[in-house]
Order: sequence, then structure tokens, then C-alpha cells
Amino acid sequence: MDEAITSLRSAPALVPSRAGAGLKAVHYQTIIDNQPDIGWFEVHPENYMGRGGAPLRYLERIRADYPISLHSVGTSLGSHQPLDQNHLRNLKKLVDRFQPGLVSEHLSWSHGYEWFTHDLIPLIYNQEVLDLVVSHIQQVQDYLQRQILIENPSSYLQFKQSDIPEQEFLVEAAKRSGAGLLLDVNNVYVSCRNHNWDIEEYLAPIPAELIGEIHLAGHAVQALGDQELLIDDHGSPICTAVWELYRNCIDRIGSVPTLIERDSNIPGFDTLYKEVQFAEHYLQSSREACRVSTR
Amino acid sequence: MSQLAELQKTFCDALLSPEPPPERLLSELVDDGLALQRFNVYRNNFIVLNGDALADMYPVIKRLIGDEAFRVLATAYVRQHPPQERALLLYGDQFPHFLATLPELSGLPYLADVARIEFAWTDAYHAEEHHRLTEEQVAAIPSEALGQCQLLPHPTLHCIRSDYPIHAIWQANQRCDSNETISLDQGESHLIILRPQHDVEVREVIRGAFHFIKQLQAGISIDLAYEFASQLDSTFDPTLFLSQHLFDGTFYQIKQQPRRLLKQELKRQ
Repeated sequence: MDEAITSLRSAPALVPSRAGAGLKAVHYQTIIDNQPDIGWFEVHPENYMGRGGAPLRYLERIRADYPISLHSVGTSLGSHQPLDQNHLRNLKKLVDRFQPGLVSEHLSWSHGYEWFTHDLIPLIYNQEVLDLVVSHIQQVQDYLQRQILIENPSSYLQFKQSDIPEQEFLVEAAKRSGAGLLLDVNNVYVSCRNHNWDIEEYLAPIPAELIGEIHLAGHAVQALGDQELLIDDHGSPICTAVWELYRNCIDRIGSVPTLIERDSNIPGFDTLYKEVQFAEHYLQSSREACRVSTR
Repeated sequence: MSQLAELQKTFCDALLSPEPPPERLLSELVDDGLALQRFNVYRNNFIVLNGDALADMYPVIKRLIGDEAFRVLATAYVRQHPPQERALLLYGDQFPHFLATLPELSGLPYLADVARIEFAWTDAYHAEEHHRLTEEQVAAIPSEALGQCQLLPHPTLHCIRSDYPIHAIWQANQRCDSNETISLDQGESHLIILRPQHDVEVREVIRGAFHFIKQLQAGISIDLAYEFASQLDSTFDPTLFLSQHLFDGTFYQIKQQPRRLLKQELKRQ
């Protein structure tokens, strides 16, 4: 423990434009022992909001060797309720302690009443909610004294009152608040398929310079009557269509820190590492292509 | 209440309820003929995500009653006790009590107590770091004053007593493939659960030691705690106990008590 504290932050804070992996408790020891060649790791800060113990100790140790990103799930930016100051305080404590290169949150809500859904519920996309979300993002950024990235959600339903397309809502929220965007390519694929949106139309209005991070994950397919609904369960390998979409995205926007996300059915570290290497390969090709074209 | 507030409350109520969502919610959703099924994905996610968090905290209970029964209980628990905090780390603190009150489980009377071990384990796992008591701290106190001192058990320490051999049950179920049979006739058990440093420890102690620690936890002096413990267990030898456990992390601080506090305590006794 003492050793970890003294060596803390020997790795730079900046998250490089390389592939990273979601940090899972079952992989802590493997990562510490083998020091895999991975650009960075990402964690949900809510899993590190205990008062002490092994998770914080391991994160401290891993942070000594890798940049990290905090990907929050509990701020509930789209709640009608005011932001929870206690949660912001806990988040700030982690930001101060671990000096993450990136901090992100979802465009969704999870606190709509007296308790928490712990699931990311979609918003109504209209002007009133946009104003609310912008104000909440600004409050988070002011409190943390830094920019955050907002992630496009995966969704299974839409509200009738929505009158702004999701991608325009995201871009507008980012521009007005000064936030960046976290483009979850799997979520784009899942939501477009679930709502019959056109993927090209979804991606076209998103300016490359707003995108600070990309997420890649697997999804499940559920039969719904004679249709199919894609469920963003982060529980399987990334599918070919999402890899294809990812390659198109980085061809357009250039290399961006890319996370392999896996939150259920967590495989051995080697399996996850293969997906990381796959993304790393695409990122390198994109950088090389970029060098050739600017020559 | 604003329209958004009302919609979010209606949505939450419908996530929690086993009944179909009300028409006033469905009428807010884009209708492609599948609005109900689409909403149900969220209701299912809500139950499964939080039920999984409960399963992470209570692996032994899950093993004891089986996956299917656990899923049924978890669903009922999530509906009765939806998460009150943004972090799920300690979600499920009411689960032991919930198990104790279910008439269907009266044939497994030890279940709630085993669940208490599992909650205490997770609570100690995420607790703040505290140093264990050192020899220097004890040496700083004149030996004749030791009996009047407060000897504070480690802040992560939980005391659990049960009429059943819950330590044996808990231990036998640390592995999936265990098929050991434990006789409930083995009788009561007294456990302390604590994290003196990195690892959580579950220790079985004798009855006298258990009550001695419990009294010390309440902040009374060593002498008074011994007096109380020896009434419940005449075989309890505090000298032997302390020679074994004073510096092993069971305790973290020793304090000389102010005279006034001692008098109040004597009155209480």
C-alpha cells in the first residue's frame, strides 16, 4: 500500500489516442503482475466510492503505471431534480486523488424519484430538457474544474415529446456547455437499429473535434414480436458490424482514445486484450494513413 | 410538479411495479405497436442489474437456495427496497432482515444469519483503513491503569451471534463444488468479522470473548467488559485472550478513560 502511494502518478494523466480497457476487479492482479501494453484503463467512479479497501488500493497501484479515465454512471444529468452535491463531492475526491485524463458521463437519467434505477433511462429530447442538461453539465464541470465528455446512450424506446434528433441534442448540449463527446459506436449501432434511424444521418452532424473518446462493446439480440431489439449488455465480443462502423468513424475523425467495454460475462484478461489489440491496430493504421495523406 | 418530474416519477413507479405500466406512461412513448415490450426491457434491466448487485454481495445465500430461488427473492427485494444510493457497493443492507421475515424461509432459520456474515464481509471490505493497535500504544499506559482503559475494537469489526453453526455453513459454501453436510445440532456460533489490514477475516470466537469484544465496542472499560463477559461465560480468560489477540488487528486503539465517564458507567451497571 505504502509503495503504491509513493509511486502514484508516475504514469502521465493524459489518456493517449490508443486503445484502452475497462478495468475489472477480476483482472487487477493479472494487470499488476504482467504489466500489459495497454494505453489506459477506465473505471466507473461509483465502484470506488467506498471509504477504503481493496478497490481503491488496486486502483492506486494500477494508476501508478497507466493513465485512467473516470466514466461515471451516477450523476443523472437528465434528472428533473437538482444534482446531488454529495455525489459530486465523492466524484471530485476521486478526480483529485487519481488525476484521470478523461472524465465522462451519460446523456440519460437514473434518479427520477426517491431512489435510483442504476440503469440509464433515455431523455425527452426537447428544448426544456436541453436547457436542463446543459445547466447540469456546466454545474458538474464547474465543480470538478474540468471538461467532461457526454456519451450518446443506447435506447429501446423514444418519447413522443422529443422534437430534436438525439445527435443534434448531443452536439448542442456539448457546444453550449463546453463539454466534449464520448462516441459509443456500439450505442450508435444499437439505437439506430432499435429506432430505424439512419446511421449516416446520425453521425454526419457530429463534428470530429468534439469527440474526445470512443467506446466499443458487444450487444445481445432479443426477439420482439417479428422484430429484433438490440440490447446493449456489454456482455459479448464486439460484433463485425460495430468494428466496421468504428473503422469508418476513425477514418473520418482520426485516432481517438478507444475503450473496449465489458461489464458482464467478463472473460479472462487475454480475451479482452485481443479486442484491445484489434482496436489498437485500427488506430495505428488510421495514424499511418493520416501521415501519408498529409505528406 | 413539472411535466418532466411527473413523467420521471411515473416511469420510476412503473419500473418498480409488477403490474403493466399505466396508460398515461404508455401514451408518452412512440408507438410502433411494441411500446409495452420496449418499456419492459427497462423494467427487466432494473430488476436484473440490481438483483445482480445483490447476488454479488450474497454468493453463499445464492448457493444455499439455488439460482432460481435467489432470483425470485432478489426481484421481491429490489421492488421492496429499491437502491437508495448512487453507488451499488453496499446495496442489500436490508437483505438479512428481509430473509428473516419471509415465512417461506422458516425452514432455513440460519439463512438470515449467514446473510449477516456476507453483508459484514462487504462492509468491512469497503471500510476505511485503520492501523491495528501497537505495542507502543499499550506501553504508554501505566500497567495499573490498564483495567480502567477503553480498549477499542477495530472500526471494521462486526459481531454476529447465531443459534446455528453459521461459520461452518459459510465456510463450506465458499466453493461451488462443496457438498459437505453440516448438522444444525452443532449449535450456536459467535463470529467477529473484520479487516485489520488488506484482507477481510471471519473468525469464530468463544462466547466470553464475543461478549467481551461487544462490550468494549460500546466503549466501556476493560474491567467492566470482563465482568460482564465472565457472567455469561465463566471459562473466559481475558489474559489468555488478550495475549493472543491484543496486537493481531482485533483492536486499534487504547484510551485512558476520564474518571467522570467511569462513574456514569458504574451507575449504569
